[in-house]
Amino acid sequence: MTTATTSELAVQASGVWKVFNEGQTNEVTALQDIDLTVSPGEFVSLIGPSGCGKSTLLRVIADLTHATKGSVQVAGMPAAKAREEQRYGMAFQQAALFDWRTVQRNVELPLELQGWPKDKRQARASELLEMVQLADFATHRPWELSGGMQQRVAIARSLAVDPPLLLMDEPFGALDEMTRERMQNELLRIREETGKSIIFVTHSIPEAVYLSDRVVVMSARPGRITHIIDVNLGSRTEDTREAESFFESVTAVREALRGRGGGAISARVGEV
Amino acid sequence: MSDRFRAIWPPILIAVLFLSAWQLLVVVQDIKPYLLPSPSLIAGNFFSDVSLMWAAALYTGTTALLGLMFGTMLGMVAALLAQRFIVINNLITPLAAGLAAVPIIALTPILNNMFNITSRTPRVLVTMIIVFFPMFVNLTRGLVQVQPVQLELMRSMNASPRTVLRILRVPNAIPFFFTGLKIAAPLAVIAALVAEYFGGPQLGLGSRIASAAANTAYGRAWAYVVASILVGLLFYLIVIGLERWTAPWTGHRRST
Repeated sequence: MTTATTSELAVQASGVWKVFNEGQTNEVTALQDIDLTVSPGEFVSLIGPSGCGKSTLLRVIADLTHATKGSVQVAGMPAAKAREEQRYGMAFQQAALFDWRTVQRNVELPLELQGWPKDKRQARASELLEMVQLADFATHRPWELSGGMQQRVAIARSLAVDPPLLLMDEPFGALDEMTRERMQNELLRIREETGKSIIFVTHSIPEAVYLSDRVVVMSARPGRITHIIDVNLGSRTEDTREAESFFESVTAVREALRGRGGGAISARVGEV
Repeated sequence: MSDRFRAIWPPILIAVLFLSAWQLLVVVQDIKPYLLPSPSLIAGNFFSDVSLMWAAALYTGTTALLGLMFGTMLGMVAALLAQRFIVINNLITPLAAGLAAVPIIALTPILNNMFNITSRTPRVLVTMIIVFFPMFVNLTRGLVQVQPVQLELMRSMNASPRTVLRILRVPNAIPFFFTGLKIAAPLAVIAALVAEYFGGPQLGLGSRIASAAANTAYGRAWAYVVASILVGLLFYLIVIGLERWTAPWTGHRRST
């Protein structure tokens, strides 16, 4: 491990292309020439219509799928190596908990795979369950928990090996609005406590604005970045959601999303 | 206690009503035993023959259990191979389906000739073949049908295929294992019993039913049928008990 870790970018993607079914009639350009950098401790949201490639971009960064072209560095190393060295934790829209494990043992899973001794991983899991306020549910089974609680377990699990980066793919997408807002506050608190860099994929404009330092707006066919919007709302409280500046940022993102209407049409013409 | 009673009394009531109606029908209509023996005649035979019946049940039960164990092990090995190698999957699946379609009455005499007819071996083999298919099909499905997101999660945690098998696929297959076993266990008893119809040692329930029927002792034949049902039921109940004990999460709403 290098000593310059702190000064390294959390994520650096340059010239990333992802083409599915390359050379075939059903060829799809999911990502076109993506450049994205995330600084350490930064919260970046990816937003855009369905099919804009935001989840694909997250998967490329996570090395769950390979870029067709371009390079992705995570914590100063190639994405594949970062995955092998567990330099990121991941959470999905589905909590993806294992029903046959207790809540505690679900959180222990990444540590188990890393070969941590039992007492150490138990201590670490307890600490994490404390953080997501589920200490009382350690011995419960996942299906005994509500959707929001399951997602909190998933977040605790993604933090288990203490990676510098969190990759989150619409983690609150299946939750009701009330739970969702509570989870957003929870996530910001955890971020405050841990100082993680976070890339967060979402469909929700207010969610992106509320959570992020920067909102990356993408458009579909081909998937590309159209705007990057800085959000300067200071530290978030419940009042932030009703603040003038919050709505200004929401409007800015919304207009960025709409602004590509013409682009989408011309792309469709281009396909023909 | 009262909850348990409340759950149990409707089937008991139905059974009592059914048996009473049956008894009444046989007595009033004067139906001959070769057509339909009365429940009291069957019960009388059952209790007068109970020690012989126990021995026969033990013999057939042992055959069924051995066949169930070996068939399950074979199914496990085949399912693991099928999961790991798609080529083997494509090879085994039609073979397994073919094996399942082989009529047991054609198979038994052949196996009796191939192996020692005086031993238990051909009967265990028949049972094993019958058991193999439901076990293989269900286990393969359990190993393969994991949520894609769980596979992605495992990959994000840098898990090797072997680790994925151990941590995700095998536990995922356990409910499927029990589904297979619930089908296979009563089937094993039936197979073990039917395999006794084609010669060999006259020790089991199947042999007893055949010989009682041949001697026009219909009450006795039916008593042995009742014993066979009890053995099949016992197998099924043991599987249910094992499932509750080892896989308490089955049947619950799956988490997302």
